Amino acid sequence: MRKHLAFVLAFVMVMSLAAIPAYAAEEEKVLNLASESDILTMDVALTTDDYFIPHNVFDRLFEIKVQPDGSTDIVPSLVEDYSVSDDGLTYSFKLVEGVTFSNGEALTASDVKYTFEHLLTVPGACNYDIAQEVSGAQALLDGEAEELEGIVVEDDYNFTLTLEAVNAGYIAELTSPAMSIIDEQTVESTDGFGMEPADTIGSGPYVVSEWVPNDHFTLTRNENYWGEAPDADVVVMNVVPDANTQNLMFQNGELDIIDLDALDASIIDSTYKTTYADSIVPGYRVGVTFMSMNETNEYLSDVNVRKAIQMAIDRQSLLDNFYGGDGIIENGMIATGVWGHNEDLEPIVYDPEAAKALLADAGYEEGEITFEFSLDSSSGDTTSMVYQQIAQDLAAVGINAEIQSYDESAWLDFRRTEEMPAFVGTWTMDYNDPANILATFFSNSTSGRSLNYADQDIKDRVDAASSILDDDERMAEYQAIEEAIVVEDAAVVPLYERAHLFCIGEKVESFVPHWAGFSNFFVRDVQMK
Amino acid sequence: MSTLKSIVRRVVSAIPVLIGVVLVIYLILRILPGNAILTMMGEHAREEVVQQISAELGLDKPWYVQFWVYITGLFTGDMGTSIKYHKPVSELIATYFPVTIKLSVLAALVAWTIGILCGVVSAMRKDRLADRIGMGFSLLGISVPVFMTAMVLQYFFAYKLKWFPIQGTKEGLVCYVLPAIALGWSSAGSVARLTRSTLLEVMESDYIDTARAKGRSVPGAVVFHALRNALIPVVTVMAIQISSLLSGAVITETIFSLPGIGRLCIDAISGRDVPLLQGSVIFATVLVIAGNLVADCLYSVLDPRIRKEV
Repeated sequence: MRKHLAFVLAFVMVMSLAAIPAYAAEEEKVLNLASESDILTMDVALTTDDYFIPHNVFDRLFEIKVQPDGSTDIVPSLVEDYSVSDDGLTYSFKLVEGVTFSNGEALTASDVKYTFEHLLTVPGACNYDIAQEVSGAQALLDGEAEELEGIVVEDDYNFTLTLEAVNAGYIAELTSPAMSIIDEQTVESTDGFGMEPADTIGSGPYVVSEWVPNDHFTLTRNENYWGEAPDADVVVMNVVPDANTQNLMFQNGELDIIDLDALDASIIDSTYKTTYADSIVPGYRVGVTFMSMNETNEYLSDVNVRKAIQMAIDRQSLLDNFYGGDGIIENGMIATGVWGHNEDLEPIVYDPEAAKALLADAGYEEGEITFEFSLDSSSGDTTSMVYQQIAQDLAAVGINAEIQSYDESAWLDFRRTEEMPAFVGTWTMDYNDPANILATFFSNSTSGRSLNYADQDIKDRVDAASSILDDDERMAEYQAIEEAIVVEDAAVVPLYERAHLFCIGEKVESFVPHWAGFSNFFVRDVQMK
Repeated sequence: MSTLKSIVRRVVSAIPVLIGVVLVIYLILRILPGNAILTMMGEHAREEVVQQISAELGLDKPWYVQFWVYITGLFTGDMGTSIKYHKPVSELIATYFPVTIKLSVLAALVAWTIGILCGVVSAMRKDRLADRIGMGFSLLGISVPVFMTAMVLQYFFAYKLKWFPIQGTKEGLVCYVLPAIALGWSSAGSVARLTRSTLLEVMESDYIDTARAKGRSVPGAVVFHALRNALIPVVTVMAIQISSLLSGAVITETIFSLPGIGRLCIDAISGRDVPLLQGSVIFATVLVIAGNLVADCLYSVLDPRIRKEV
């Protein structure tokens, strides 16, 4: 009996000792997230939307850093030092030495050049705008050159980049997720780059360890990461298309951060702003939501009508009624948080009586002005209600904005024809420079936006502004252009910049949203408990 | 042998149906406005890039050229390449189908076992409490939309009671229980009501009286004599239900985040991904045709007279 007892005691002691390391070992920190839709590719050259993997698995030459006061700075990332030639066309870069991809291979200047070439030449490429500005890019795109002439690799860590035309905001553009640096050797030696986790190698803080399409993908910490290690060991991104299911998962502790953009405003107000009020992390979708007015339309071509529309819409009421007041009323297109934002721009005042008077003075009878107000039905119920209130506001001054609903595909196709009379759109900044929005909508290369902005002088000035090397001078020019577009020409109705709210669960200590409010945030900005 | 001939005849007659389905879907998608490339690239798409990718994918060619390329490809087993996913359609269907088939088979099991059981009990206990409960259950199943059933089940059994996962497939077959009940309940209701009415009709037949006179108990007469005959119209309904189970899977898969064919179809429709949508629809059509074929075979198992007629 004693023998048995001794054996049992010895067994228990051995098992207890064996158990100690298990308890002593730090528990793996797993961050559970959800997204409404799956990514289509991990190759940023083939998408302008799926940026979660590029942000967290790859690095860029420069990054945008959010300061504690909420302001943003462009900081070098893979670049140690750089200089710009006097003519503003050629950049000389020196890369940080010792950076490796997750497979242990060194990241060199040759990989940077290969990244630009990949963006331009991979079949189905759709994200090559920034690479296209490099000298010789068009020849490569057209198949007339074998390599990108504008990037010259001097040695492993030094290279020069020459632009086709001066663009003083080019460094800002290099912070875009599109400019994520890829590993030449891996891409060339495998067939699965962008689709197979094992073949999708970056130098960022995480590696993709699993991707089950339309179900989830998993990131694990990159043990070879050259920078400061992120706090979460594992990140699981679940694909949960139903917003209510996401809501239940968060409340059940199955999600550690929920993107409240997916939920109805009523659920946010009734549940999150009450029960989880202290766990809400606010950010902003840096950019502007605006009403676009097509200047080829019979009525919208008249600046008086456009100015009346600006005055007739109660923007504060839209923000309060449909977004719980979470946002900032914008008076221009260079929104709050964008470099060059003008706080002193003349405010657009809600004044329906003045709007009526302006229309009467311009010779319009009540109810005479009618145009289609095109709605993308996939943009959600809240957007639909915004359209209805705008239509009501306009009806109050005698303008008939007839809401016509399209599904996303049809809506985009119609807008592309340049014939869509009016719509509400949102532009979130890809990089922090006014050129991103002004060149997209008001330059000579603008197409397919159904805006048809008519002022040729302003369009020429937008194109020329990027070549102004002095930053202050350039920003002053962009602000003057903005004033001409919004105040003088009333080409659009800037509405608001919406807040982008997240809610963190019990496992998360702190979280800093992406500087521009992207849902595809940087996991390195999450601190776990 | 004659049964085999019949099966072959039905398979051959399905080919023009399939071609018709492909053509109709193709034309509908052509009539509808929308552009797959624009939808894929979204707000930030540039016109020149859209045109370049359209040319690369052959979408700038006339519709009849694209259709011919597609149809000829089909005969060599090539269902085309998804514009959105950049993958062969056949590969995508093979990836997503296992989830849908698990869900549909489980839903069919729920629908048909519960439905038949409920119908039999209701018929045997006609106008009593069990009958009222059974018919109330089936009426509720038919009346309540699938999405509502799914959300209520998810809230109570997954979120409140934590008996089942809220969503996903990570925990195996248990993840399919709530979606299968949500999807199968409506069909169970139809099967129960039909089983009850046909069984009551059959129970009036002379041969049931004979069986009873020879000493069979009521349950014995039902199980060994009446049910077999009563099930023939029920099997017809079951075959029709295969298509409704597949279409219902679209909603159930979305609510429970199951990566199946239903969600693939939604992606294809919203993205105007013509090759993917056509591939999914052809696949679903094949399944429905196969389901009807199985039902025809079941008739002959249930009733030897039908076998002779074939």
